[in-house]
Amino acid sequence: MSLTFRSRHTSFFEIDIDSIYASNSIIKSPQNSNVELKRTFSHHLVIIIAKETIHTIRMKALSLLLIAAFGLSGSLAVDRNNFKTCEQSGFCKRLRGFKPEKSQYALNVDSVFVHGNVLSAEVFTVDHDDDKKNILWRYALRLSALADGTFRVEMDEAEPLYPRYRTQIALEGEPKGDGLKLISNENGKLTLSNTQGHKVVITIEPLKIEFVDHTGEVAVVLNENSQLVVEPLRVRREKIGDDDEQGNIVEVSIPEHTDNFYLKTTTSGEPYRLYNLDVFEYELDSPMAIYGAVPVLYSHSSKRSSGVFWHNSAETWVDVVNFSESTVVSSLVNFMTGGQKQRVDASLLLTHNQQSKRSICFQKFSLAYHQSRWNYMDEVDLRTVDEGFDEHDIPADALWLDIEYTDKKKYFTWDAEKFRHPTEMVSNLTAKGRKLVVIIDPHIKREAGYFVHEDCTAKDYYVKNKEGRDYEGWCWPGSSSYPDFFNPEVTQYYIERYKFENFPGTSKDVHIWNDMNEPSVFNGPEITMPKDCRHWKPRNKEDSGLASYWEHSYAAVWTGDNAAEWGFLQASVPMCISLATAGISFCGSDVGGFFKYPEAELMTRWYQAGAYQAFFRAHSHIETKRREPWLYDATTISRIRDAVRRRYALLDFWYTLFYEHSIDGLPVTRPLFQEFPKEEATFTIDNQYLLGDKLLIRPVLEEGVTSVKVYLPGKESGTLWYDVDSYHAVAANGWINLDVTITKIPVYQRGGTIVPRKERVRRASSLMANDPYTLVVALDSNNTAHGTVYIDDGETFDYKSNKYIYGSFDYQPAAIAYKFINKDANYPTRSWVERIVIAGIKNAPKAAKLVQGGKQTPLQMTLHRGNDVLVVRKPGASMAKPWEILFTY
Amino acid sequence: MIYSAWIRQLQSLTIVIFTFIISAQTDVPRPRGVSLSKASLYSPTKDFTCFDGTSTIPFSYVNDDYCDCFDGSDEPGTAACLNGVFYCTNAGHRPQNIPSSRVNDGICDCCDGTDEYATPGRCSNICEELGKEARAKAQQLADLHKSGNHIRLELIEKGNKKRSEMALQLLQLEKDKAEAEIIKNEKEVLKSELEAKENEALQVYRDAEEKDRQRKAELERQQQETEASEQFARFDSNSDGVLTTDEIKVVNVFDKNKDGEVDQEEILHFFGDKDSVNMEDFMSTTWPMVKPLLMLDQGMFRPAVKEEDDEPEVDEEEETQRVEDTEDVGGDDENIEEIPHDDADEQDIEPEQSRAYDDETQKLIDEATEARRQLTDAERTVREIESNIRTFQQNLEKDYGLQQEYATLDGQCLEYEDKEYIYKLCLFQRVTQKSKNGGMEVGLGEWGEWAGREGNKYSVMKYTNGMACWNGPSRMSIVNINCGLESKLTSVTEPFRCEYKIELTTPAACDDSNLTQEATHDEL
Repeated sequence: MSLTFRSRHTSFFEIDIDSIYASNSIIKSPQNSNVELKRTFSHHLVIIIAKETIHTIRMKALSLLLIAAFGLSGSLAVDRNNFKTCEQSGFCKRLRGFKPEKSQYALNVDSVFVHGNVLSAEVFTVDHDDDKKNILWRYALRLSALADGTFRVEMDEAEPLYPRYRTQIALEGEPKGDGLKLISNENGKLTLSNTQGHKVVITIEPLKIEFVDHTGEVAVVLNENSQLVVEPLRVRREKIGDDDEQGNIVEVSIPEHTDNFYLKTTTSGEPYRLYNLDVFEYELDSPMAIYGAVPVLYSHSSKRSSGVFWHNSAETWVDVVNFSESTVVSSLVNFMTGGQKQRVDASLLLTHNQQSKRSICFQKFSLAYHQSRWNYMDEVDLRTVDEGFDEHDIPADALWLDIEYTDKKKYFTWDAEKFRHPTEMVSNLTAKGRKLVVIIDPHIKREAGYFVHEDCTAKDYYVKNKEGRDYEGWCWPGSSSYPDFFNPEVTQYYIERYKFENFPGTSKDVHIWNDMNEPSVFNGPEITMPKDCRHWKPRNKEDSGLASYWEHSYAAVWTGDNAAEWGFLQASVPMCISLATAGISFCGSDVGGFFKYPEAELMTRWYQAGAYQAFFRAHSHIETKRREPWLYDATTISRIRDAVRRRYALLDFWYTLFYEHSIDGLPVTRPLFQEFPKEEATFTIDNQYLLGDKLLIRPVLEEGVTSVKVYLPGKESGTLWYDVDSYHAVAANGWINLDVTITKIPVYQRGGTIVPRKERVRRASSLMANDPYTLVVALDSNNTAHGTVYIDDGETFDYKSNKYIYGSFDYQPAAIAYKFINKDANYPTRSWVERIVIAGIKNAPKAAKLVQGGKQTPLQMTLHRGNDVLVVRKPGASMAKPWEILFTY
Repeated sequence: MIYSAWIRQLQSLTIVIFTFIISAQTDVPRPRGVSLSKASLYSPTKDFTCFDGTSTIPFSYVNDDYCDCFDGSDEPGTAACLNGVFYCTNAGHRPQNIPSSRVNDGICDCCDGTDEYATPGRCSNICEELGKEARAKAQQLADLHKSGNHIRLELIEKGNKKRSEMALQLLQLEKDKAEAEIIKNEKEVLKSELEAKENEALQVYRDAEEKDRQRKAELERQQQETEASEQFARFDSNSDGVLTTDEIKVVNVFDKNKDGEVDQEEILHFFGDKDSVNMEDFMSTTWPMVKPLLMLDQGMFRPAVKEEDDEPEVDEEEETQRVEDTEDVGGDDENIEEIPHDDADEQDIEPEQSRAYDDETQKLIDEATEARRQLTDAERTVREIESNIRTFQQNLEKDYGLQQEYATLDGQCLEYEDKEYIYKLCLFQRVTQKSKNGGMEVGLGEWGEWAGREGNKYSVMKYTNGMACWNGPSRMSIVNINCGLESKLTSVTEPFRCEYKIELTTPAACDDSNLTQEATHDEL
């Protein structure tokens, strides 16, 4: 993964009192956008973004070293020496040790000017040494009130040496403004208010900014403990103090780390670091920076939740302090919460997405099963794997090619020996409804005669080193340079490379995997580019980083180079919840583990877990033993088949969730507390999660267990949970022990929901387009249920011109109705309803009839008494038109 | 699976509440997707019972595009059941069973196109064409096997001949071994006799030597004792025959660290944990420690410079080490001629030989030496024969196929070149790979076993335990064998990391009788 937030010097700061402001901090990738341009005509873009780490060079060095030292090479682990600790970062060390008696910062009241939604004022630092105030530095402060009860704080030098770099592409344009009024100016405090009744209280000296909610409770404080530092073109530090309320509070997110979803106190150890790094054999339970970074942090208690989005692409370190009574996040970037907001639930994430980028509708195949390996060595190998899935009747939608398909790591080329007939190879796949995904890395081999290199050299497209010459680093191809995507011309050039005619062998069924975009530089500091490299625009002396290589809007991410160990399977769950909460729902881990070899039980559990994670891809390292599903014993094969089939049966449900995600931005995979914000026991649960608000997943992540603990939330509201394997209803009552076998993982459907399924699982998802639906209706205690379904062609952008169906299902004892939510949209689907399963029905109807298009058809039903399951047999209703089924008792 | 999974778990009573039957079945001899052999199980005049017996449904439910049976047997012609099977007749070619999920999915799976009946015209019937091709191929293969079979028969003959020759040779070797053992025994007896005589003659010399040594030792001991008791008397100031700590405290020589005082540590050093020592203890423990100090005191010698002191010692140890190492290596390797262990005392004799013996003794020594040499030779002969026997036995035990058709291929090496490497397969021996750019030969496996599937064991060879891969398993090779008119390698690939796949053709695999069997099997 690879979000780059590297420039140090912007001070945006978005604070949302009422609801979490999780800006989708992902940045639109230049090359992605270009691909989009090129492919708009036919389909959504799926760019799957990636991370690939093994570098032979380092690996060799490492094992040699071990041999020299111990006489034998033990198990390799992350080489911490390659990566910085706080102590080694001047920036981090300086600020962590900073303990001011009094803030040097003060507001110049005379300069305050409120216009529209913006307060601007001058802030200066004061030297108190000789009773006389000496102004040291002047800063410009901007406080803007934004729609949805969000505030933004920006602070920069009044007259900087040069403009600091500002990340621009994370947001969907400038956020919408709200009104801002100055209410009072007395006792050294300014009080302002937005149109929604939220207040901001600014203490003049020392500067402190408090954000107050409707009830008068302080939600977030900026600089309470006087630790704000904006180093004039050097370093800046923010401190947001806490307020000292109440109960159980949890801080979550700031991906990407291997730690728990909820954040731990860091003062005695390393702070959480945000920086994009390609980490070889990364560690578990670590605050080390890996791959990508999303600087958004939430704080949640049963009364309120708040969030801070650090709109700043600089390398960032975060310190967290958890007190037993109240939680304080004290840090370089430091946030706190408390107060009495009612809920964190569904509505809370709604707001931020109004301003930030929303994801597109991913193509349906991208949510299906992917088979990858570094590497399928040639066309025959790829074909054999493709046929293996058919032979063993396991569905698969895409096969992936890693770097070895290229001609000596020159991207946009094919190995002339091993991949001689790419077009034919692709059509073999598409003949069965499958796709190909090929890797493209953003480093360019420095080889005379390689067209990309020659173009980039001739047109001066490469990132420069501090001397102003083309920067050269070492990556897969050997000596490489890096196109400077800050230059729109370079971006345009790179876009052109993806065109089918410029990359022969590709077509609409070939998709792109972007990797190594931290950027990974094997011989660079911390395996990335030196910070003093120069980019096209921001004329900073310092490197502002390759600000973007991917974004949640267009790409899926995976948790990087994990290993075939139970610990990594366990870590994948909190890592993906964390990413989802920060705006990146399309997340998964390498099924089976990238390094090492998973034995049958681990492999089975990994497939079962992966089937319920958004990005479902098996991948492995080139040196490991092959592990396509059929290389296991027959029993394991059938268990893997079962797991993958479960995913395919739910594909339309997943597709619907991602459609809704594109509309409202809510995470697809959710922590329990998002839906049950008042249940404190859920705050620290990060080995189970919800899909939308409908399914609860508790993957089995432990070796050899025969039972697991599952937390069923919603006792207070009388929530029912239906085991999806038996439709047996369990009333929510917190923790339960559930017996599991190797074929079982606990998955529950929430009472009151309807989930659409397709039970006819075929070789690939595209072949299931016309297949009928089974609707699973799980009744709540009022005997009602509700659900949605999204249908389109699964492939093109036609949905943007209303060629889709977004439908709702409503069950009341008297009827179940299917209606179009957007009446302007339609899609001529050939799907129909083959079965309706109603679980939890106490009083079965005597008769049922379908009403559709003025026609009435009597229907058959079967009651499974004892389980209270009623099955409506073959309603045959078309999904292209609304319908209703009426029950008589 | 999916839907059926939960329904299967239901033990509860299932009641059909309302039944509305649509009868839309056309009159067909058997439902779509049913093979002839199963046709009788689907009778339109009766209710249909699922094959697993779990439920009975109206016949109109068969192939009505809704899955009623857990085992999928009610939907042989639709995609409704996930675990169903669709049968295509494929007239003109081979019939086929495909999973129900491939029915009406837009992809032509059956050559007669019957699996895509929902979209008529999508799939044309190409069975005739394919059948023709398949039959031509089968004919070609049959011809190949037929001509190859002649060569195979020759191979079998040669193989059997080779084996019986080997058996004969083995018999001969057993005989040779018996003879060689007799000779060895004779030589052993002779050697013992001559060595006895030799020992007797040498005993005289040894006795004289021993006496001389004892005399010298006794002399030295006496000298020591005298000296010790003299010193004891000197230290024992009250002459009570016991040396106490007080008595030695005043003697400089006990001040080991020369700090001008005999402290507790030094007393402990010389007396052990006793307060005093008598003459006897003094002699055995204290004196040996005191003497060098005394000599030092008297200037009789100076302590040696440390390096000089240590170095020879180390050298000596290393020397010993080196000798031992060499012996160990020799001992491990049977093929290296080694000196038998009972000759060890010969080394003792060695230095004595520099001494002059009388003629008679010298003659006895020479005779014994000769006898020892002859025994060594005789033993070596026996070992060589035994090793040959083992090789023959191993070869005879090797499985060269049902009729020894692979026997003559043992040891035959075949090569295959691709862009980067030259691969070499030496049958029943090993597989190697060598880069064309030079470098070491890499072992891809040693002969392991026949590994074909049941009933076709001799179609696959497995060579295992090759060179270990970095971070991975040992390399291994799988050799797939097919009929061909000459023995050669047609491809070498590495489909799995460190697992090589080699395609070998050889007439030994041509068998026309086998082929007809397989062909008939296919028709079923």
